[in-house]
Amino acid sequence: MTRYIVRRLLLAIPTLAGIVVLVFFLLHLAPGSPMSAAGGESGRRMSQRAAEEMRKVYGLDRPLPERFGKWVSRVARLDFGESFVDRRPVLDRIDEALPYTLLLNGLALLLTLAIAVPLGVVTGGRPDGPLDRVSGPLLFALYSLPAFWAALLLQTLFSVRLQWLPLYGVSSDSPAGSEFADRAAHLVLPVVCLTYGSLAFYARLIRASVAETRNADYVLAARARGLSRREALWKHAFRNALLPLVTLLGLVLPGLLSGSVIIEKIFAWPGLGRLYFDSILSRDYPVVLALSLLGAVATLVLTLAADIAGAAVDPRVRDGTIG
Amino acid sequence: MRLAGSLARVCLAVLCFAPACRDRAGAADPAGPTAGAAKSSRASASPSLLGYLDESRLGTPREGGTLRRRLLGDPATLNAVMQSGAPEQEVLQYVSRNLLDFDSRMQLVPGLAESYAVSADGRSYTFTIRKDAVWEDGLPVTAADAVFTIRSIVDPHVPSPVFKSVFDGLVSVEASGERSFTARFREPYAYRAMAFVLPVLPQRRFSGIDFLRAPDNRAPLANGPYRLASWRAQDEIVLERNPKAWGPPGHFDRVVFKILPEDSVSYRALTGGGVDETRLDTSGRQRAVSDPAFRSCCRMVEYYDLGWNYIALNNRSPLFSDPAVRRALTMLLDRAAIVRGLFRGSARIISGPWAPDSPAYDPSVPPLPFDPAAAAALLDGAGWRDTNGDGTRDRAGREFVFDLLVSSGTTTGRQIDETFAAELSRAGIHARLRSLEWASFTERVDAGNFEAASLAWSASDPNPDPYPYWHSSQWPPQGLNSGFYRNAEADRLMDAARREPNVDRRNATYHRLHRIFRDDAPVVFVATSTQKFGFRNRVRGLVTSPLGLFGVWPGPAGWWAEDAGGGAPAPASAESTPGSGH
Amino acid sequence: MSAIPALILPVRPRRSLPGTARVALGVVVFLWIVAALSPLVSTRAGDIRLNERLLAPSRAHPFGTDDLGRDLFARVVAATPISLAIGTTAAAVSVVVGFAIGAAAGWFGGVTDLLLSRGVEVVLCFPVLFLLLALAAFLPPSPATVILAIGLTTWPGDARFARAEILKARDLDYTRAARAAGATTRRILLRHLLPVAAPPLLVSAAFGVGWAILAEAALSFLGVGLPPPMASWGGILAVAPAYIDEAWWIALFPGVALFVTVAAYNLLAEGLRAATTEKVNR
Repeated sequence: MTRYIVRRLLLAIPTLAGIVVLVFFLLHLAPGSPMSAAGGESGRRMSQRAAEEMRKVYGLDRPLPERFGKWVSRVARLDFGESFVDRRPVLDRIDEALPYTLLLNGLALLLTLAIAVPLGVVTGGRPDGPLDRVSGPLLFALYSLPAFWAALLLQTLFSVRLQWLPLYGVSSDSPAGSEFADRAAHLVLPVVCLTYGSLAFYARLIRASVAETRNADYVLAARARGLSRREALWKHAFRNALLPLVTLLGLVLPGLLSGSVIIEKIFAWPGLGRLYFDSILSRDYPVVLALSLLGAVATLVLTLAADIAGAAVDPRVRDGTIG
Repeated sequence: MRLAGSLARVCLAVLCFAPACRDRAGAADPAGPTAGAAKSSRASASPSLLGYLDESRLGTPREGGTLRRRLLGDPATLNAVMQSGAPEQEVLQYVSRNLLDFDSRMQLVPGLAESYAVSADGRSYTFTIRKDAVWEDGLPVTAADAVFTIRSIVDPHVPSPVFKSVFDGLVSVEASGERSFTARFREPYAYRAMAFVLPVLPQRRFSGIDFLRAPDNRAPLANGPYRLASWRAQDEIVLERNPKAWGPPGHFDRVVFKILPEDSVSYRALTGGGVDETRLDTSGRQRAVSDPAFRSCCRMVEYYDLGWNYIALNNRSPLFSDPAVRRALTMLLDRAAIVRGLFRGSARIISGPWAPDSPAYDPSVPPLPFDPAAAAALLDGAGWRDTNGDGTRDRAGREFVFDLLVSSGTTTGRQIDETFAAELSRAGIHARLRSLEWASFTERVDAGNFEAASLAWSASDPNPDPYPYWHSSQWPPQGLNSGFYRNAEADRLMDAARREPNVDRRNATYHRLHRIFRDDAPVVFVATSTQKFGFRNRVRGLVTSPLGLFGVWPGPAGWWAEDAGGGAPAPASAESTPGSGH
Repeated sequence: MSAIPALILPVRPRRSLPGTARVALGVVVFLWIVAALSPLVSTRAGDIRLNERLLAPSRAHPFGTDDLGRDLFARVVAATPISLAIGTTAAAVSVVVGFAIGAAAGWFGGVTDLLLSRGVEVVLCFPVLFLLLALAAFLPPSPATVILAIGLTTWPGDARFARAEILKARDLDYTRAARAAGATTRRILLRHLLPVAAPPLLVSAAFGVGWAILAEAALSFLGVGLPPPMASWGGILAVAPAYIDEAWWIALFPGVALFVTVAAYNLLAEGLRAATTEKVNR
């Protein structure tokens, strides 16, 4: 087991290196520059001389490999540099946006699991039962519903026409009720938009693996020992469904960090997704690089954790036969 | 709109730089800004369809209350020298006074500087700072501060996208006493004084530390009517009264800026009471007029500014090197339909590279007509005929096909482009639309690496000098004449105007140039459209200007609220906003 | 991502497509017929009439008109082949690339596997949005760019999936037997392993179509999709937010078309899986 973990950790190094090199060079070779992006569409163009000076200030006049070496050596000391846009440390900017993203996506994930797990186990325990017949097509419909479109429709209905919920943002200036209620109300629509799609997906996943094992020998044996159908399902069949779920979470959790760009944009939510998108558009190289690197590290660590959890359960995985 | 235009922007923005003051003509007028303002004929008053709004004498201002403004984005910095866009300027306007300011008639008026004098050779400008001008800590604003500010701007290690180019010709700047300083330039320039619509930094707060990383860049020391109370990144900025304000105080106790990048979101914030004002686009205006929620709370403020839309053509491309072809392209675009349909009437067709409210614009030069038949004849005459029967004109084996770039962020630009492309295709010309995101778009346009591109000029100062954008010495990569326009006669007139101290003679030269531009059609001149804002009815005292609602003095500092407490100015409010809770 | 839905394992073998999937198949066929007939309206779809902007649905314009006075019904119809073609092609690219790489890794094992798996991991951990924007910046906007961008970001899922399938099949008796009988690698891969892996890949591809159509819509919505005036449903939707109070129809109709198409492909994929699983298990 230790060997397996060490091996996986070693293997993560080239992956990380590959990502870093790719992002760095793609970013610097892409058309546009911090100078051409300066000020945004409402800003002014700068003169050639101002652009030249800015290029030097940012060190962009140095050859690419030199810049890469410098960046790597700084990152090795966990120094991500300063944002080109406002010249504050990159980590400060990430720090500002991270809580918003974690709050939004964390809630969405909790809600997803809170609904998907019971629904998946129940429908999986009785495939083609009445609940399954109703929820099946419904879940597929949700899974197929584009989030940005749903967001538009929900905004129109609940915020514009009915005026039940705030349209955008994190909080109001002068909330009608308590501050908590105000913040909660701001979360409703974005959380719903982030939840419904993954909810459908997880519920189907759990349903499938519960259904697959509900007639497996050990479940049948458990029932023969006198466990109720329900107990047998939850104790044995659901446990079996946990493995794919964990694997999948490993893949999906990093998304919590990168956030959902479109949802954050539509709801003016000041999270990482918007920071990332804006940074790409403004060619804020240090921020883009830091977020890409952190995202990749998170993905690797979490997939690794999921795989280790999986390996602990399944010897075939541990031996590298599959997976 | 945003613009694109590369070119344009250099013009400074917001307020900052000054313009042209037609009366203060220049170099040899020692009277200083005030004298100029007194004469104030509104230069451009001519063909304006909309009256400008002036509520400054309407009702008695009431004191107190909170003004909720809308900001398009988080300011990148509140260091006045390093500011690069509208959000910075809109906040700084309350916090930092300029040496000179524009009033709503585009005249220079005194700010921090009480007067200035120009040397006989027109190269030296000597400014005297007001005696009572102080920072929020009570210390005086000094000439040393102004000198430090200008030296920072020209420092190659300091990015100062707004001010760098206006101080390009600076030779030296020296203080000559506690309150006066002299800036010397390589050559006289008719619009030089506009460079001093310039905020000032407190030198002592930057000494011994890295200018780019000074704490003041995010917490500036105020010398204006308000000071910074709090700033929650990407969310809101709160200003409160500056207890040491030396000039006329503002009427509100607090000014809160909400950062709302999306127009559709800010519109709803306006009708919901979350903000007191917001910019509207054409569709927002349309929505507002039929929205009972808007009519019950708000009013529309609409005026023409100095911006305009155009389609840039690369004059070096074999497709567009012939003025007859460029004229034909203009004549193929039904600009009246665009004004009626796209802008719903709130726009006017232009015939040259200024907005009609600029004194440089000659209203007697009519635009080229919309005339597809005549345009077809011009194209035929230039040798562009469909010889191979594929539906597209060609000449010497080259099909009349080109890429038309548009920035993906602009709705109006895309709509104009799609309309243009559809009309061209009826005339046997194939324009392929390519939308690029902003940074890639400007990079290509600024480098002159394009065939045609849809742009908007947005000028926030009245300097009409066409030289940087149209003179043949200003081709890329050094200059901003990115369409590679060249006309010897136009070059000569542009050179002459820059050196002409008399404003009337200068404008006469521009009027001659206007006619040349119309006939040469270096770009397809399209239209200038109104700026539209929604204001909650409680906000009073608005004054519009071709420089916008914000780019002038006192501008927003003169607004007040109908529902405010009243009476004397309340003491600076100590209440600060809730901290940054996540 | 496209392969992930296929992880949902089979429930019960079925011989034929379930009812919902048959309906879905009907819808898909209908959509392709609409796509085939769409040239009939293409002239109307491009007909800009600035004096007829933002007209509400009526007899003359069943879906209303858009921000340039074009008939929205014609535009939605004209967008059908574009969205379908991008969706299917991107899914095909993803499956073919993913299968080739995954199969090679699984079959050859050893160093090849190690290297290829690292490559898969790099792309898997690569920020998708960044890749899409970078590609959009490098390449001129065109259907091919969009297809490439979507295909390139989804193939790793298919590759992992194919690798696992091949690993399983490699050690099966008939594979060993074929090898013992002297069959070439190519022959074994094509004759023995492809048939085993094909059905799940087909399912994956069908799910991939839905995913790709959504991805294209999202890209166009963000403004980095197809160049105007070429319209995909996402591209038409991109102007909707600006007019949502004034012209709800711009948001509604292309959105419905998008939703119906994606749902049909997903249901079809689900049905396919149910139907093919049985054959594999037999």
